Amino acid sequence: MSDALIATDKASVDVSGCFDMATGILDRRIFTDEEIYQEELKKIFGRAWNFVCHESQIPNPGDFMMNYIGEDEIIVVRDRQQSINVLLNSCPHRGNTVCRAELGNTKSFFCSYHGWNYDLDGRLIGMPGEDDFYRNNIDKKDWGLTPAAKVENYRGFYFATLDPEAPPLEEYLGWVGKVGIDFMLAEGDIEFLDGIHKNRLQCNWKLAVDNLYDWYHVKVSHGSAIKIGILDDAAMAPDNQMVILGEYGHGIGGPGISEEEQARYDARLASGEGEPQWYDRHAERRTSPETREMLGPVGTRSFGHPNIFPNLWIAQTNQVCLRIPRGPYETELWWFNFRRKGMSEDEQKFSAYMQNHMFGPAGVLEQDDGENWSHSTRGAKGTFSKTLPLNLSMGNKADQVSQDPSGQSCIETVINEHAQRWTYQSWQDWMAAENWPELMANHSQPPTGEV
Amino acid sequence: MSAYQDLSLQERMLLKFEAEEFLYNEADLLDSRRFDEWLNLLADDIHYWMPLRRTTQAKEVEKEFTAPGGMALFDDDKTILTMRIQRLAIGRAWAEDPPSRTRRLISNVRIDSIDEDELTVRSNFKLYRTRLNSEEDSWIGRREDTLRRSEGGFLLCRRHLFLEQTVILSQNLSSLF
Ligand code: FES
Ligand SMILES: [Fe+2]
Repeated sequence: MSDALIATDKASVDVSGCFDMATGILDRRIFTDEEIYQEELKKIFGRAWNFVCHESQIPNPGDFMMNYIGEDEIIVVRDRQQSINVLLNSCPHRGNTVCRAELGNTKSFFCSYHGWNYDLDGRLIGMPGEDDFYRNNIDKKDWGLTPAAKVENYRGFYFATLDPEAPPLEEYLGWVGKVGIDFMLAEGDIEFLDGIHKNRLQCNWKLAVDNLYDWYHVKVSHGSAIKIGILDDAAMAPDNQMVILGEYGHGIGGPGISEEEQARYDARLASGEGEPQWYDRHAERRTSPETREMLGPVGTRSFGHPNIFPNLWIAQTNQVCLRIPRGPYETELWWFNFRRKGMSEDEQKFSAYMQNHMFGPAGVLEQDDGENWSHSTRGAKGTFSKTLPLNLSMGNKADQVSQDPSGQSCIETVINEHAQRWTYQSWQDWMAAENWPELMANHSQPPTGEV
Repeated sequence: MSAYQDLSLQERMLLKFEAEEFLYNEADLLDSRRFDEWLNLLADDIHYWMPLRRTTQAKEVEKEFTAPGGMALFDDDKTILTMRIQRLAIGRAWAEDPPSRTRRLISNVRIDSIDEDELTVRSNFKLYRTRLNSEEDSWIGRREDTLRRSEGGFLLCRRHLFLEQTVILSQNLSSLF
């Protein structure tokens, strides 16, 4: 087996002119071009640390679930030594899948075609006719299931990369990615709730990622959900926005409060006096010294949406959502739901109630998103329409990055498109680099000063 | 719980006819977008539930559906169902604006049991939806309903829905089943 799983194609597509950071003008062909899409599968999904599961999803030896890295099917399985393995779901004999269930428990993965049998770490442990037909002329140790190049976890969130040159997970996440995951743990340990909401949209995956930072659409796209009162109007898309940008395309965008506001909140908390504010629901979860220590002074004031590049959205609802590419025009959304350990029964009911009713295909909020994204994708297909530029200029050159002494930096502003611009800029870096060393050397650094 | 099977043929036919009439009429209200009238057919304590479904190994089919109280596509009480309907009328409910065209086919109606004033009825459904120029979705599944007799006729007090799809192959589930 070669050491690099992904052979880098030398004649790669040049996307360097697709996004202009100076103006925020985007070439919409990046949403529909087949060649660009194939390149993304190699250069982005093939190299990135991809979220595969939370440790509590597969607690026992033999527990497994299926997931994807790009369009490649993977098996995520806990072995008898308690390690979590990530294996490509493809039998080296003829390529058949060896696992067809989305989840379950098994002793081994038995290929249904000719019966090669694999241990939970992917080792080939048996095949019919090894003596009689193969005449013992096959070395089983060379023909196991191919594992991901690396599997690592950050606080129970497991990621895998197919590229052996990828930096360690924590280096990849940087402080922004880590704080994004820390948001999930702000109230303590969490555990996975059985059942992933999955549905398929006719949109390019990047439009789904772009949208998670988009607090501009909320009052329009989700106008009906706000009007019926299932959501708190003031908290839905407040003008107080904070954007945090991290290396390799990670980001956090959405509501946030200023230091002064935080101080007022703390005073209100101590005295028990004062008017409730739109951010109380979030701020309440960030009062313990340990949580504030974990999130840092800037992270504590952000209630936005993190994206772990490329496609893991961490929502502020004990949920994370993967945007899985299924072709240039198709994306699957997978909602992973969690609860905080030690929640009271009432809290647990409320949390599940929100999880079931906001997002997912029947979610009162999310059902109105799909058509917008698929029609935006469609708008990048027309022979004429696909040549027209898209405008991502909101707030461009209008804000300042402020640097906290802790090292955390952020942009405090109103509704904006900073994080979307950052995503496309970083996307372009990923597509321009031929390998990890090049990406490490040449990727954009989070901006300082005017943005 | 009295055994439905102990009833005479005529009694069973009458009951089944009543149940079918209710189900067909109710489906027609949804197809005709007479949502407020549909809401009036729901008992105040209705539980409207569609669990998530997964592909499992044959030996683990008990894991196929998520458990009651857990993650689900629908786990609605009357308040949420009312919101879903109200949403349509107040504007900016884009999943249904322009409105979908839907047709519900209800079949294989069987009465499971009768319990004083409640009937448990199983049926199969196909919900066909088309939107805009060319978009099509169809969902097939089975339902377990409990119908309660009240002064104005039956009220639906439980609807448990089991879809055949695992990954929902549509951009949303903005229709009611
Ligand atoms: S393809 Fe798997 S054993 Fe032949
Ligand atoms: Fe949205």
